[in-house]
Amino acid sequence: MPDWIQNFPTLDVAALRALQKSIDAAYRSFSRDYGNAIESFFDPLLYILIQFEWILLNAPWWVVIVIIAGTCFAVSRRPLLTLAVIAAFFVIGYLGMWDNTMRTLAIIFVSTIIAIAIGIPIGIAMARSNRVQAAVMPILDVMQTMPVFVYLIPVVMLFGLGKVPGLIAVVIYAVPPVIRLTNLGIRLVDKEALEAADAFGANNWRRLFGVQLPLALPNIMAGVNQTIMMALSMVVIASMIGVKGLGQPVLQAVTNQYFALGLFNGAAVVGLAIVFDRITQSYGRRAQAKLQG
Amino acid sequence: MARIPISFMAALALLGAVGFAKSADAACGKVTIAEMNWDSARVAAHVQDIILAQGYGCETEVVPGDTVPTVTSMTEKNEPDIAPEIWINSAREVVEAAVAEGRLAIAGEILSDGGEEGWWVPDYVVKDNPDLTTLQAVLQKPDLFPDKEEPGKGRFYTCPSGWACEIINANLYKAYGLEEAGFTLFNPGSGEGLSGAIAGAYERGQPIFTYYWAPTSVLGKYPMVKLGGMTHDPETWPCVIDKDCAEPMPNMYPKSVVYTVVTSSFAEGAPEAYDFISKVSWPNALVGQILAWMEDNQATGLEGAEHFLKNHEAVWSAWVPADVAAKVKESLM
Repeated sequence: MPDWIQNFPTLDVAALRALQKSIDAAYRSFSRDYGNAIESFFDPLLYILIQFEWILLNAPWWVVIVIIAGTCFAVSRRPLLTLAVIAAFFVIGYLGMWDNTMRTLAIIFVSTIIAIAIGIPIGIAMARSNRVQAAVMPILDVMQTMPVFVYLIPVVMLFGLGKVPGLIAVVIYAVPPVIRLTNLGIRLVDKEALEAADAFGANNWRRLFGVQLPLALPNIMAGVNQTIMMALSMVVIASMIGVKGLGQPVLQAVTNQYFALGLFNGAAVVGLAIVFDRITQSYGRRAQAKLQG
Repeated sequence: MARIPISFMAALALLGAVGFAKSADAACGKVTIAEMNWDSARVAAHVQDIILAQGYGCETEVVPGDTVPTVTSMTEKNEPDIAPEIWINSAREVVEAAVAEGRLAIAGEILSDGGEEGWWVPDYVVKDNPDLTTLQAVLQKPDLFPDKEEPGKGRFYTCPSGWACEIINANLYKAYGLEEAGFTLFNPGSGEGLSGAIAGAYERGQPIFTYYWAPTSVLGKYPMVKLGGMTHDPETWPCVIDKDCAEPMPNMYPKSVVYTVVTSSFAEGAPEAYDFISKVSWPNALVGQILAWMEDNQATGLEGAEHFLKNHEAVWSAWVPADVAAKVKESLM
């Protein structure tokens, strides 16, 4: 009986190693040749991140709380929720996690803005063309299922340690929901609404911004909400490549079995998540109510 | 009652068996070597295994081990015979007690540099700036090691959160005035992150100023220079390792001593083989190179040992007489 019937025909060990080595070498030479250029391409982003973090860290704490609570109320119109948000930030500040929370807030905020800026146009493109959708879907699947640690170290080799590689890792992980739900939301827009828009002689542009996007807004907001949640869940992993914030004390707690330290900082991440979640959700709900009303 | 004579007989029988084994092969006999679960010790175990088997005709066996369990088993059961790499700081009490009792012997220092921790810069940085071999010189040049996140400052990579060296580095950062010199204390987040940053800097020839330790594959692959101008002071060291040290004084990581430990019965029973074992000693730069080769090739300890024996004959042939070296060399063909 030939060998391949009994044993799975595999590449022999030496060839496999040679293959892996050549991939490693190719990546290293890529990083050597283009690393500096790619890194300086992202310098403006780093500048924005640094400035934004600086503002959050140096603004008086009550200004930050007023702005966040104000946004919360403006968007949700729910006084009770607004009070709960204020209370959450007071507890965070009182337990000495203010600075780290502001650092995390800065990177999550910028990541979310970037994810939305990348995600919504891609979602629109996918909704308009089945071909684009067929091409992008598998990429999104890979982005969502590829273990983060696989691309974490290559990103570090290219960008070093710190905010930019952290931001890139967070965006890769967090961008798929906003793309998927923008695509879905636009595709779910009523055919009749579109026909009406056509009947009024709307051009493509007006059709998109006047009808499709507003009608898809509840779905898009659900995507934004998911994107923020996924970005927050990356906080600890991002801290493994030198992103400052709530993730570092959590890591420290894990390595040293400091239960309380881990619990407090974990709770602060949860607090941020709930604040963002409620704000985006009630905005989505109000958008929906407006559509129906 | 009846149990005493039986165990006594068994002990006699065991003694007889040992005696018989010795007389059967007077030169060396049966030797077991502990293979610890980290790479440098794995290579050492297999190097000793190959040379003892091929050069001295010992009947060798490599068995898995771990520092304290292996030392305990060597003390209590006289087995295995050789533990190639014992980091004495992690087993000082058991080893010292057993040596005092005459059950174990310290054969030699397998890592001639010991375990080294310190602050390093890449060798190409020193090549371009020949004076940058001391901490004091590096502190004059924060611009050379820019921290992009804090414009105008230099970056010193410390240990990830939760490592003991994170506390020590933070205290030394204070003691040597790194902050005043314009350096940030940058937490890399994880060991993988730190080695990734070193690899990234190396591929592009960028300067990096970082804590690291040897022997490691990272320092084997990316040769770095350990900064001088820092000296260990046992007096003030207890404060430096304390998280709440109020006024840390300048200090330096002490060298960790790494021994080869053998059972006394092996040392006395096979003096020639013991003579070889006691001479096995290599510098961290060499161990790092072997570790780097192993990592690149995903090699086992045995493959690493063969790689070393084939490529560094000058090193190991100094450990053995010429006739033994010739036999080992022949077996590698």
